[in-house]
Formats: sequence, structure tokens, C-alpha cells
Amino acid sequence: MFTIERKGEEYRKLAYDNLNCVGCGICVETCPTSSLRLGPLVPIARGLIEMDLISVSDSCVFCGLCSIACPFDSLSLTIDGEDVKNIDSYPSWDVQSEIDDEDCIYCGRCKSICPRDSILFERKLPEISSLVRGEISFDEDKCIYCSFCADLCPAEAIELKNIASSSVDKLNNSISVDTSKCVYCGVCKRICPEDAIMEVCSTCMLREEIEVPEISGEAFIIEDSCVNCSWCSEICPVDAITVTKPFEGKLELVESEEKVCKGDSCHACLDVCPCNAVEIVDGKSVTNLDFCNLCGACVTACPQDIRILTRTAMNLININSDSWAEILNSLVSGK
Amino acid sequence: MAVKIDSEACGHIQDCPVQGLCIKLCEQGAIIEEDGDVKIVPENCDDCDLCIQNCPNQAISKA
Repeated sequence: MFTIERKGEEYRKLAYDNLNCVGCGICVETCPTSSLRLGPLVPIARGLIEMDLISVSDSCVFCGLCSIACPFDSLSLTIDGEDVKNIDSYPSWDVQSEIDDEDCIYCGRCKSICPRDSILFERKLPEISSLVRGEISFDEDKCIYCSFCADLCPAEAIELKNIASSSVDKLNNSISVDTSKCVYCGVCKRICPEDAIMEVCSTCMLREEIEVPEISGEAFIIEDSCVNCSWCSEICPVDAITVTKPFEGKLELVESEEKVCKGDSCHACLDVCPCNAVEIVDGKSVTNLDFCNLCGACVTACPQDIRILTRTAMNLININSDSWAEILNSLVSGK
Repeated sequence: MAVKIDSEACGHIQDCPVQGLCIKLCEQGAIIEEDGDVKIVPENCDDCDLCIQNCPNQAISKA
């Protein structure tokens, strides 16, 4: 985290937020004054060194190119308080990760798979009692408080208070059922050795009058920390999520006689990947391009230098300046 | 092939910015701590080069 500023005719401020930074080094590559530096990626990712991934030197001219080039919104340059990303004449990333409220069924699979913990998710399930109908009661004269019913109840709806020292004294025993949990399955009735449970399920009979339950909720993607990996959209069972990635292209492992992937010994790529797209399979690094956002962090991290990233297109639009276009377009091509 | 350490450049754990980063990075047990200094165990080295790439003093190279 750093903030540097320059006061003059305009007040320019450059702020870096380590939280969103993936260590791709795109800012370092594009800085026209070579003012940014990428820290030791692998030791930082492994928690061996605590420091920011990016540092800045005083040669920075506050042009803002880094903040525009960063696909993950880790850097922001403001001019007189206004973020250049919000100024029309500056380029912007046409990427998005969105959940469509209309289609979402609030199953929560996206939240559990997101490698960046970027999905806010809340849901409200209907009460069990609004889904089933029935009756249940206990004949306390017959009940011997054996607790078979409570132990077997799949809904954990039966509570038995049984004071051991006075188990023959029925006054000190009690049995009750929580009807907000009971599903009237009848397991308790079937297991009761004393035939002390009366249970009737009327759910099927009353099917017509039991309202179809509604599941409500809220699910949205926190754009700030999302890295557009598309795990969420791939796993969504109802196709409610749209993810646009910053780049198109491919990432290959190109081994030679001298340089081969060391897989489990090294796994630097796996450690730095913000997308959880890398696996070590049979001792070799395998990248699933469905989830890779082509950020290139693994390319920098690989000590064998055998990862070849080829970006064929990028979704950075509205590049108006020729000099900026020249620098930014250099991101598309080999790394 | 393993690696070698330039003794002059090496921080010898005590003066290393990360107190023996190479030892912490190497999961093969090819770089270990012995008598407060860094020691290479060549037979364990898998030539992954992580230590070479990350040594803050650039003290490690191919043997």
C-alpha cells in the first residue's frame, strides 16, 4: 500500500492497494519511466516475506498509465480528486463479472469456489414448517424415555430430558418435538418399542394448498477483488454469471533439453496464480485456460522460464493517445 | 548438477534480509541450516532454480 502525490497546477495522486494486486507486473512493464518495481513474487505468495508486491521510486511522473494498464484496479491515479479511470478521454477496461439476479437460484456454489473470496452471498430459505404438513404427539404414559426416537430423528427435532438417577421416576423425564424442524417422516413412530408416538404426515394430501416456497437472496461480485477468472460462471448451474476476461490468448509450457518443469519441487506457478488455474499433474504444471486470466504472474515466477504467454487480444478500450497505444498494445503479444 | 553459493555475497542467514530465504524456499531439503550457516545437500537438489531466482543477494548459481 502506498500513496504518492504531486502538487502543482494539478494535484495528482497515485495510490496502490496491495489487496487487489496479483503480482502480474503489467504496471512495471508499461511504466514509461521505469519507476515501478515488482517484489519477490514467490516468497511473498508463500508468506515468507511480508511486503508489497509493487513499490515505486521518486522518478514517477504521475502520468497514470500504470493505473489504466492494471486490469485489477490496484493502482489509481487521481487528478484533482478525480480518478482517471472515470475520465472519458482515458482508456478503460471493458471487463465485467456479473450475477444476474433474475436467473440466480442462490445455491452458493460460486461463493464456495471463488479463489478471491469476491462473492457476497446471502440467502433466505423457507421455514421447514411451510413445506410440510402433519401432526405428531407422544403418549407420555407409554413412553419409556429410551431415546431411540431422538437418536434416530433425521431432523434432530426430538428433545428428551432424561435424568439418569431417576429414570424410573417419570416426573423427571420429558419428551418434546420441535415442529419447526419435524418433517413428519415417521422414523420415530416406526422405531418406538412402546408404540407411544402418534405421527401423521398430510403433506401429500394437502399438496394443493401448500404454497410453492420461494428462496430469496442476494449475490454479487465485488469487482475490486475479482480477477475475472470465471470459476463462478463455469460452475453456475443456471448460467446466471457473465465474466469477461481482460485478455484472450494462451499460456503454454515449453520445455527444452536444459529446462524442464520441476512440478512438485517448485510449484511457484501454482503459488502465485490468483485464479487457482494451475495444478501439478504427474509432476508437471498444468494450467486450465478456462480459469486463467492470462495475467502472467506465473510467467514471472517460473524459475525455469518455460511458461510462454501469448495474448492475442485485450479488452482495454478507448486508447486515444498514440504513445499510450504503443505501450499498452505491447501487452498483446508474447511475454 | 545442484547449486553453489558465493560465500562472499551470501548473508549467511544472520545477515540475509529474510534470514535464509533459500532454506525456507527449498522444499527438497537441498539447502539446510547447519551450525548457523547455509549448507547445500547436492543429492537432494532437483535443479528447480527457485533459490537462484529468489536469493536477495544473488549469491546462488548453478554448480
